[in-house]
Amino acid sequence: MLSEKSLAEIARERTKYPSDQARSALLAALRIAQEEHGYLSEALMDYVADLLGLPAIQVYEVATFYTMYDLKPVGRHKLCVCGSVSCFLNGSDAVLAHLSDRLGVGLGETTADGVFTLQEVECLGACKDAPMMQVDDRYYENLTPESLDALLAQLRGGSDDVR
Amino acid sequence: MPHIEIDGRTIEVAPGTTIMEAAGALGIYIPFFCYHPKLSVAANCRMCLVDVEKAPKPLPACATPVADGMKIATSSRKAKTAQQGVLEFLLINHPLDCPICDQGGECPLQDITMGFANPHSHYTEEKRVVEDKDIGPLITTEMTRCIQCTRCVRFGQEIGGIMELGATGRGEHMSIGTYVAKAVRSELSGNMIDLCPVGALTSKPFRYKARSWELKHTPGLCPHCSTGCNTDVHSLGREVLRVLPRANQAVNEDWICDKGRYAYTGLQAEDRVTQPLLRVDGVWREVSWVEALDAALSGLEQVVTRHGAERLAGFISAQSSNEELFLFQALLRGLGSPHVDHRLRQRDFRADVAMPIYPALNMALEELEREPVVLLCHAFPRHQQPLTNHRLRKSVLQGGKVIAVDSLRQDFNYPVTQLVADVGTDATLYAALCDQLSGASEKRTAAADLADVASILLAADNPLILIGSALLHHPQAAVMIAQIETLAELAGGRVGWLADEANSAGAWLSGCVPHRLPGGHAAHTAGLPADALWDADLRGFVLLGIEPSVDAMRGAAALTALQQAQFVLSIAQFAGEARQYADVILPMAAFAEGAGSFINNEGRLQSFRAAIRTPGEVRPAWKILRVLGDGLKLPGFHFNALSEVTAAWQRDIGEYAQDVPPFHAFPALEPVPAPKLADALYRLGDWPIYRGDPLVRRAVPLAQPAMARMHPDQFKALDLRGDVVEISSHSGEVTLPLILDARIPMGAIWVPLGYSETAALGAAYAACSVRTATRPVAAARA
Repeated sequence: MLSEKSLAEIARERTKYPSDQARSALLAALRIAQEEHGYLSEALMDYVADLLGLPAIQVYEVATFYTMYDLKPVGRHKLCVCGSVSCFLNGSDAVLAHLSDRLGVGLGETTADGVFTLQEVECLGACKDAPMMQVDDRYYENLTPESLDALLAQLRGGSDDVR
Repeated sequence: MPHIEIDGRTIEVAPGTTIMEAAGALGIYIPFFCYHPKLSVAANCRMCLVDVEKAPKPLPACATPVADGMKIATSSRKAKTAQQGVLEFLLINHPLDCPICDQGGECPLQDITMGFANPHSHYTEEKRVVEDKDIGPLITTEMTRCIQCTRCVRFGQEIGGIMELGATGRGEHMSIGTYVAKAVRSELSGNMIDLCPVGALTSKPFRYKARSWELKHTPGLCPHCSTGCNTDVHSLGREVLRVLPRANQAVNEDWICDKGRYAYTGLQAEDRVTQPLLRVDGVWREVSWVEALDAALSGLEQVVTRHGAERLAGFISAQSSNEELFLFQALLRGLGSPHVDHRLRQRDFRADVAMPIYPALNMALEELEREPVVLLCHAFPRHQQPLTNHRLRKSVLQGGKVIAVDSLRQDFNYPVTQLVADVGTDATLYAALCDQLSGASEKRTAAADLADVASILLAADNPLILIGSALLHHPQAAVMIAQIETLAELAGGRVGWLADEANSAGAWLSGCVPHRLPGGHAAHTAGLPADALWDADLRGFVLLGIEPSVDAMRGAAALTALQQAQFVLSIAQFAGEARQYADVILPMAAFAEGAGSFINNEGRLQSFRAAIRTPGEVRPAWKILRVLGDGLKLPGFHFNALSEVTAAWQRDIGEYAQDVPPFHAFPALEPVPAPKLADALYRLGDWPIYRGDPLVRRAVPLAQPAMARMHPDQFKALDLRGDVVEISSHSGEVTLPLILDARIPMGAIWVPLGYSETAALGAAYAACSVRTATRPVAAARA
């Protein structure tokens, strides 16, 4: 189910922990699996469980605990809006409402064209520039309706690296 | 040793003791939900917060080890405020639907809320709702009630040995479940119901049947395996509504298996007999006891006078009490018949003279969990004696080694080194192991795993060798038993028996074997064992509590023999198949309706009493046997009370030892040639966990369909198609759904016994052939 490259990467993560502590390599293994497939299907989680010799439920527990793991297919860009205290006090609700309105999707949903998925996440550690969100592996801070619109337009335009 | 003070009382405890344990020793109650002495400490419910002097915050008693000089207050203002706060949070999302909750009245959350909560909650917002999961026919889930104590999760992981439930999601979205809807498969799963401190997991068959305070509790004994688990039978009026474990740390600890918990549902089966039945001109009629007993007595007398007593045989279930077994053999022997047996599943009786006085474990169950090396010989205790298996599991978790020799790879719930015989070579495998142990292995090319097993056994000091019931079911049983004796000598080990049924020990001791009288004394005239009598053209049979077509190894042959007999008396709880061959059916007390005693695998004598009154005209079997004996004018049947039978039984068997020599001297044994398979398959099979006796077979929630199993490569090699196969042996043909299972060795097909669907196929360990079914699935299953 996984490529040679991913399997080699998981095997390398596995060697970082004692031989009877396969569970420790689970976070990394799930990340690698998700990078290859885009999201964690049940079959993929069962496969990872087999790979590490863990009960499947232990994999489900971890995969459902962290918001960074996706259990359903997601769009090309994942908009992860922080909803924790600092961002909340600085209007994260308005950010979410604005994005939801512009994209026509609710929380956890993906736009029909498959470009955007909207998510609310817990604190990402950028409180000084709240409200903020993470898009793919990049932070966008001090969000305003204008900056959000500009960002959406750029991402839609096909640019994956927006400044 | 730390000295501590709890609520002004001082105690000295061992280092590492937790505050919870120390308080328990002082008899001080600290409320808790997630803590359980048999499970790891999770400390996630926070209910047991106590006030510890000099600690800035209240500490959880279950997870805080004591330190010297610690001063603890369990009901100071600080402790009480903390407890009230915890309860307020726990109740935020709890539906408070106690009036319609089965847990109501026996609910720690309800009780602790009444005792410790502040009656006013600050919470006015909406409560969360959690979707219910379908986790099978035994456990109802109502997950909105869950307080995430994770006792069920920890039970699965730590006791059940299969982690099936887990906590998915996070924070407010956390819920307990299987994530993808799956039935919980552990044979101990019902214990999660007892562990659940709220009404999230409740018993499905018991749902909405009664409130807990209406139930009468009667101490009982589980009749479904040789562990002898202590139970608590809960009844309302004349109906058993549930069976719970009764804690006995020496036997079943705090648990019972699902077989013991749910088999009672079989009592409601449609074919339960509550009135004596008599066949008159081929038609069954309900008759009075007088009429039925007259017919039974004259039937027995006619067989004896016309054909001789040696053409009469009696077979009894080893689930019967000592008293019933004792009277049963007295009845048959009193009539002059030497043929008394309870071992319907056994084929090879050549080692009978070498058998111990009773199949004894030869040790306490508690000692089993400290055994460093255990060799299981054709034993799969996980399904045969689930709580004996739990002791072995504990030994493995503490570093013990378990090795299993068997005809197929078994699904143990702990790591086991498995040595699987190639088809038909079970006896050869034991011989090879003996050769390996004696160093005479040059002549055979010893497989690497055989050498490994031998070296583990040789390195062990006095390893324990346990003989399982599947070994006795094998057509080469005698040869294998003799080899195990040699093996034990070579390995310097001890031998114990894992007895098959709840009172197998009692059946042997009470003389329900053809060659021994009560107390194990040799019979003057040895009778023939059950399996030999199916082909002996007998004229009369007395059956007690058994259904030979599914309880006997050669079910089809048994059925033919019974149908051809002149007179068959069936003393039974259920009419069932007896309607096909019996002449008189006498209704006897079933589970929870009678009293008596069992001897478990350890040799522990335990007694039980009736929980409910017998329905209709049903009578306890001992009374039926007593009246029959009296009616036949046999001496020694003048009993008025059960205690008199017990006394007579005790007098006859005398003192019996708990440790018995596992073998007596063996006769000369010739190996039986293995069946010639040519291009046929070897049929493996045994009684699955929920098919072992008439009651459990009728328990609807435990029902599993009959399925054949085969290795996927074998399936390809035979070029089979689809998921239904026709299997034929020399005795008959059956059509069954097929599951591919890599645990079945190549060259074999596994077909369960204990099903009427598979009875036609005859005995296990014989040749059979398999082909793709010509009928469609639906027709085959119908």
